[in-house]
Amino acid sequence: MNCTQIKDKIAMDLPTSPEYVSVARLTVSAISNIIGFNVEEIEDIKIALSEACANAIRHSQRECFHLNFEIGEGRLAIEVTDEGVGCNLKEVAEPVLDDPKESGLGLFIIKSLMDEVEIQSNIGCGTRIHMTKLLEDNK
Amino acid sequence: MAVKIDTNFNEETNQTEMRLDGEIDIYGSELFKEKIHELAKKHPDKDMYIDMTNLEYIDSTGLGVLIGALKILKGNGKNISLHHLKPNVYKIFKITNLTQIFNVAGME
Repeated sequence: MNCTQIKDKIAMDLPTSPEYVSVARLTVSAISNIIGFNVEEIEDIKIALSEACANAIRHSQRECFHLNFEIGEGRLAIEVTDEGVGCNLKEVAEPVLDDPKESGLGLFIIKSLMDEVEIQSNIGCGTRIHMTKLLEDNK
Repeated sequence: MAVKIDTNFNEETNQTEMRLDGEIDIYGSELFKEKIHELAKKHPDKDMYIDMTNLEYIDSTGLGVLIGALKILKGNGKNISLHHLKPNVYKIFKITNLTQIFNVAGME
């Protein structure tokens, strides 16, 4: 997102404990409502953020991970960063939807629900998921 | 909000039943896994009926647990049917193509 488009920024650190993912969902729900997203879009954003948080919690080696929200005109950008084990994204297999596995759907769901998704990961350094949702009029 | 889970065996329908109430994310999925595996292993030769009327939210951790339980039952030719899904819950099953794998019997 271009800096000139950002109206407000909110940053928070969450402990890498599963019980706090609901706090992230409540927070992003309130922010999305302020921007003007409808109920279905807010559900999409909540799930995408929840998936990114679950990913950070599973793989982080620190006590917390970071959330950054950039509130723009008709758009919300969210960045979830952890200092975890990281991974080689080229080795992350796309899910085979006809033969689903117990894991591996998280990133697929994020990409399905958000308008722009960028994922960076380095082994030993952690992972950064940057995702943006646009209001219908801004697409 | 955590998840509340009730289970039983219905002799009339000859199915195991599970009712989900609340949210299933990485926090609730451990309890969900424990309960559904317990039910599937106790009655591996019965179909399972899951009532999602009060399930407000599910993400990939919950879907993974369901897929694991389905694999146990499929080994015996049995299935899991999902009932009364809220639109946001149905959407997750739809985009992951799990509506083709599970018997999704009814939406809210």
